[in-house]
Amino acid sequence: MNLNYDKASIELPEAWRAKTPIFAFVGVVCILFGAACFFMAPTADGTNSKAFRYLAHSYLTNFIYVLSFTLGALFFILVQFLTRAGWSSSIRRLAEIMMMMIPYIALLFLPVLFMLFQGSSSLYEWNAEGITNSIIAEKAKFYLTKEFFTIRTIGYFALWIVTATWFFRISRAQDESGDVELSSVRQKWAGPLIMLFALSMTFAAFDWVMSIDADWYSTIFGVYLFAASMMAFFAMMIVISMSLQNAGKVQKWITVEHFHDMGKFLFGFVMFWSYIAFSQLILLWYGNIPEETYWYDVRLRDGWQYLSYGLIAFHFAIPFLGLLSRHVRRHRVGLLFWSIWILVAHWLDMTFLIMPNAGPASFFPLAGHLLGGLGMLCIFAALFIVRATGVPLVAMRDPRLPEAMKYANPLL
Amino acid sequence: MAEYVDEASLLSASRKVRDSGYTKTDAFTPFPVHGIDEGLGIKPTILPFIVLCAGLTGLTTALLMQWWMNGVDYKYIISGKPFGITPASIPVAFELTILFSAFTSFLGMFALNQLPKFSNPVFTNPKFDRATNDRFFLYVNSADKYYNRESVKDLLAATHPESLDEVMEDTTPAALPRPILLGAMLLVFAGLIPGAIILNMRAGFSNLPRLHVFFDMDFQPKKKTQQQTTVFADGRTMRPQVAGTIARGQLEEQDPFYLGFDPAKISATTGRSDLMLVSTAVQPPEGEPAPAEPAPTEPAPTEPAPAEPVKSEGTPENQPPADQPPVEQPPAEGEMPATEPTAPTEVVPTEVAPTEAVPAETAPSQVPATPLEPAKAVEPAPAAVPAPAQAAAPASGTPALNLPWVEKLPIEATEAHMKLGKLKYETYCSACHGYAGFGDGLVHKRAESLLQPTWIPPTSLHADRVRTQPVGQIFHTITKGQGKMASYATSITPKERWAIVLYVKALQRSRNASIEDVPVEDRSKLEEAK
Repeated sequence: MNLNYDKASIELPEAWRAKTPIFAFVGVVCILFGAACFFMAPTADGTNSKAFRYLAHSYLTNFIYVLSFTLGALFFILVQFLTRAGWSSSIRRLAEIMMMMIPYIALLFLPVLFMLFQGSSSLYEWNAEGITNSIIAEKAKFYLTKEFFTIRTIGYFALWIVTATWFFRISRAQDESGDVELSSVRQKWAGPLIMLFALSMTFAAFDWVMSIDADWYSTIFGVYLFAASMMAFFAMMIVISMSLQNAGKVQKWITVEHFHDMGKFLFGFVMFWSYIAFSQLILLWYGNIPEETYWYDVRLRDGWQYLSYGLIAFHFAIPFLGLLSRHVRRHRVGLLFWSIWILVAHWLDMTFLIMPNAGPASFFPLAGHLLGGLGMLCIFAALFIVRATGVPLVAMRDPRLPEAMKYANPLL
Repeated sequence: MAEYVDEASLLSASRKVRDSGYTKTDAFTPFPVHGIDEGLGIKPTILPFIVLCAGLTGLTTALLMQWWMNGVDYKYIISGKPFGITPASIPVAFELTILFSAFTSFLGMFALNQLPKFSNPVFTNPKFDRATNDRFFLYVNSADKYYNRESVKDLLAATHPESLDEVMEDTTPAALPRPILLGAMLLVFAGLIPGAIILNMRAGFSNLPRLHVFFDMDFQPKKKTQQQTTVFADGRTMRPQVAGTIARGQLEEQDPFYLGFDPAKISATTGRSDLMLVSTAVQPPEGEPAPAEPAPTEPAPTEPAPAEPVKSEGTPENQPPADQPPVEQPPAEGEMPATEPTAPTEVVPTEVAPTEAVPAETAPSQVPATPLEPAKAVEPAPAAVPAPAQAAAPASGTPALNLPWVEKLPIEATEAHMKLGKLKYETYCSACHGYAGFGDGLVHKRAESLLQPTWIPPTSLHADRVRTQPVGQIFHTITKGQGKMASYATSITPKERWAIVLYVKALQRSRNASIEDVPVEDRSKLEEAK
């Protein structure tokens, strides 16, 4: 197949590179200003005594929000190699760039670790000195200690960074040599690595998010975060791909078929997320065991109920109906609209998971939380641009690239 | 119909056909060919839309069904959850959505493809057999509005097919022949007849026995319980019980050990077993000290032999009101006086009674259970006896049963049995009745703390009416339950129940003793402990 291409079409737009410092600056300012909002807003007792508590939860929410894109990217890459997929070879490099952002985003977790070692229990209650709750005390003896927690955190990030870096290096090497064996290597190792990814993601979810409420547990929690991450990843991929195309790049590499497929995945994972979220709800709520149902009870009172019910509508029902039709998925503006919708809904979902642990919704400064989220997104954008600089946006010498170009969705 | 050797020529030919404006076309390929849909100008199917409607129908059906069935028609109580649509309705709703969608997509696909089709005219051409192998066919239907035999032939020939043939359509009429149609209609109407007959039968009554179509094993050469037979001389199928045997399960029905009362005594007295077994409030008449008067005159006390129903027959008038079953003599149970039966204090063995001091002097305090010397017994008996008699009909709660209770504990009053009774009591009874038997167990305390208006407090075992109950009655209460108390028969074996009765009597005794009950040599210890 004739692969004439314009080298410039697979480079990052110049205009974007110029915007990096702006994004970074705006991001940092948003985060700092958002943090300040927490201390300015009154809490239940008129003071801002719980401000730091809310701030810590908000920071973690936004951190998980941004990390979820990259973890979804990592899983996407592993799956594409596991299944020896051809259709995705033209969009794969974008996902590889996203997964290479994990090391930088890992640094964003440092404030949380710092806070832990300062002895704060605002976020993780098991870090407190005298724990009265016997269940938490039991867990805090060995597993939920700041030392072991940190070791595990380092372990998760190490696994992900090593996997991502290795896959990326091989991918870049294939850019130079076009060696087919390099694809075989990745295909061979994708399987075991997926299993390790599944385990590490599950336990990371338990550690970072579930242990905030240390005497509650849900075994499906890792799957919940995984489903949410994948959905968010596809939304972000669509946004990035379309933005690049609108900037004049990768025009012919990412066709309407690819957008259709990413839309299908987005739809599928919206469905999957709903399924998992509902499974967690029905088992915990109808199981009716008080120490498990209270987690939902907290999210059905003090103002959080609006968020909870809102998620059903805005995270499931409406996107489901919106993304159902193939015509929407093949329509640029339509798909972009729903992708942005999903990105917002995902942020609300992460808020739903983490924020109610801090306290009632009524005294929670939404503006601060929102600014934090926007700030993190700007930082994500800046990091993406940094990471994508000098990297071809398409894996030009991937042996499966022709398959991607020929790929067409059947009419039905 | 044109035949091609590879899909590329098929595709280019199909595009030409499409561009010429023909719509009633079709292609036949051994494998799906990418691009053939656009090549032939096939429009996207409406099946997804049909499936969507079906899915929404399924969703609505499921939600309506659950709302109506569980929320309106029969309000199904599930842990106090709200009636109607709850998150629990979602799995069924999901399933029905998927079900309707799946069925519709499958059947809809068939329908939209006009399947099942019994035959297709293209099969008449033997060349077409290769359509499933290595040849590609393109076909323009003469029903197409632009169809012109010559122009179609030219068009297809210009695409250089391997071969070009005409497909002859079968022109035989497709309608069913009249005879077959008539016959089918006849069969259909004939098939309605049995249904009509059944409906007719459902609307009316009949004296005839039912139509028994499949006999199965309904008429068997065996005899059922109440039937007559010529096999035995007395004509009965059922054989009476062989003397000296106990039928399976009979022991538990007849032996006082398992019942707490002696059923044989019921029939032997008034014959009104129904009155005695049913918990009717058979109170003694107002102000009648009747139980007191006849009681001392009962010949029973004078007989040292174990009391048998025979004695009571002599005083039938006593039976209904009073709780006065004849007493069995305690065989020298000197060490455990507390196990003695309570009420018939007048039925005193002439042999030696336990060495307690006569509590008769303290009759008003209602000392239970100590068999007294006959002489002393007579005097306090009238005083003592009415109390148990009235105690037999409690002031509140369930009316008393009037049964010939077992008076003597059928198990030995040993340390081991007492320990067993204590263990079982603390396991099963103390939750309500409390460890000391005052009715202040944890359950009662909880109910009190919840301020339950409908709570009936568990009976205090030291209440007068309970203290005067015979051992058999206490056993019966455990076995059958009483009022709010359920039966504990399934949890506690009969022997354990008697052990509990033993322990209960000990508890009762412990709260109702006087200094005279303490052996002389130990009395000084009490003084010291004070």
